[in-house]
Amino acid sequence: MRLALRDIGKTWHIARTGERVSALEGITLDVTPGEFLILLGPSGCGKSTLLQIMAGLEAPSSGAIDFAVGVGGHAKLTSMVFQDYALFPWRTVLANVTFGPEVRGLPRREREARARQLIELVNLRGAEHRYPHELSGGMRQRVALARALANDPQVLLFDEPLAALDSQTRRVMQDELLRIWAETGKTFVYVTHSLQEAVLLGTRIVLMTAGPGRIKQVEEVTLPRPRHLTGRAEAAMLDRLDALLGEEVKRAMAS
Amino acid sequence: MTASHWRQIASVAGLLLAWQILVQAGRINPLFLPAPLSVLGSMWEMTRSGELPWAVLASLNRVIQGFVYGSAAGVLLGLLAGAIRWVEDLLDPWVAAAYPIPKSALFPLFMLWFGLGNPSKIVTIAVGVLFLVLVNTMAGVHAINPTLLKAARDLGASRPQIFVKVILPGALPNIFTGLRLGAGMALILVFITEIEATKTGLGFLLWEAFQLMDTRHVFVGVVTFGLLGVATTWLLQWLERVTCPWIQRSN
Repeated sequence: MRLALRDIGKTWHIARTGERVSALEGITLDVTPGEFLILLGPSGCGKSTLLQIMAGLEAPSSGAIDFAVGVGGHAKLTSMVFQDYALFPWRTVLANVTFGPEVRGLPRREREARARQLIELVNLRGAEHRYPHELSGGMRQRVALARALANDPQVLLFDEPLAALDSQTRRVMQDELLRIWAETGKTFVYVTHSLQEAVLLGTRIVLMTAGPGRIKQVEEVTLPRPRHLTGRAEAAMLDRLDALLGEEVKRAMAS
Repeated sequence: MTASHWRQIASVAGLLLAWQILVQAGRINPLFLPAPLSVLGSMWEMTRSGELPWAVLASLNRVIQGFVYGSAAGVLLGLLAGAIRWVEDLLDPWVAAAYPIPKSALFPLFMLWFGLGNPSKIVTIAVGVLFLVLVNTMAGVHAINPTLLKAARDLGASRPQIFVKVILPGALPNIFTGLRLGAGMALILVFITEIEATKTGLGFLLWEAFQLMDTRHVFVGVVTFGLLGVATTWLLQWLERVTCPWIQRSN
């Protein structure tokens, strides 16, 4: 697996004012197989746009992305987990999870067997035939995760997946994400504006600048797991990142 | 049965009873307002003689054909216009121009083009239904959360798959709104088109009774139209429950 970004730039053209706004500039990044990569930055730094470019949902204005699928490369390279879950309200949990394999032409028996395994993996057994509106926020995000895994992607892209959850549920889901990351061995690329989340989850943190989004700093996180925000090493890292992020938030607000 | 239910029953029963008594006491001229029981009696006679069932069948034939053609065209065009920009651009001026025209005003033209028989009536109903369904279907497509389309694309769906598996079910709640409005419109239009150039149908029955000053039969027609309205509403609600089990309904 290879997912490499070379000098990616993205410019938005605002039709109303005729302005050109640069959202991303000079992003060069190699995603390492199996890592939990965090894209951290203030709101509006273009980190979600960068994720969409990785997903192939947006085309970059400049630069190149190199997707290379490894051995047995018929699987899809990336799958996305959205902040607002983006579950199909007319499909049950099971039918949401089978959506990807279904449109990719997998036979029903096969895709349902696969979906049931994934529903088990995300701890939703028994909820197969419920509709999304009958689930809590945390459960919905589990469904979204299972659905993204159903295409057996090599990289999972998360766009602030826990931002809409209450803090208790968020804590539980963070542990769940770590467990699933470890169990599946997939590469996670995870967008967040939460420092705490970055320090708790990541193996590597890419700190981005505000408007236009550039890479400010890349931090390897070698802290042992399980991590605790109150731990001394974690606290030190939080402080350092907080200072760096604070500069960017101020810059974003000033511009 | 709650107190609210009892009050509702009392309201209906009380009014009907007062009406019946006032007519029987000679306080109301039955030529203008026949007593409820005599209307019921007429309805029973006309049902036994087959006059009423045949009239209902003739009208239903026109309503159902017009409704099915109109809503099929409306759903299809609405989905295409909602999903494909250039289809919307081609349709939009025509919809804007035709939408405010009372569709009954087109009936004379349709009689000119399609003759005095059933086709002109069915076309009038179909056109009336079409615009309501089309406009609501388009609104339904536009109301779909764009992230759902993104998610479908991300999961590997092709454009035709997105159309069938996301846009169609996503617009379904609004499509049903259009169908309900369309069914009401179909009943209005079948009445109007049956005033002219026919000897069959519930509208004809009602209008002829009016011309003969047979107010009891006029009431039979009005009540039967009401029952048809209730029946279509129930039918569509049932269909919606069966096809859209995911829609949250309060109560």
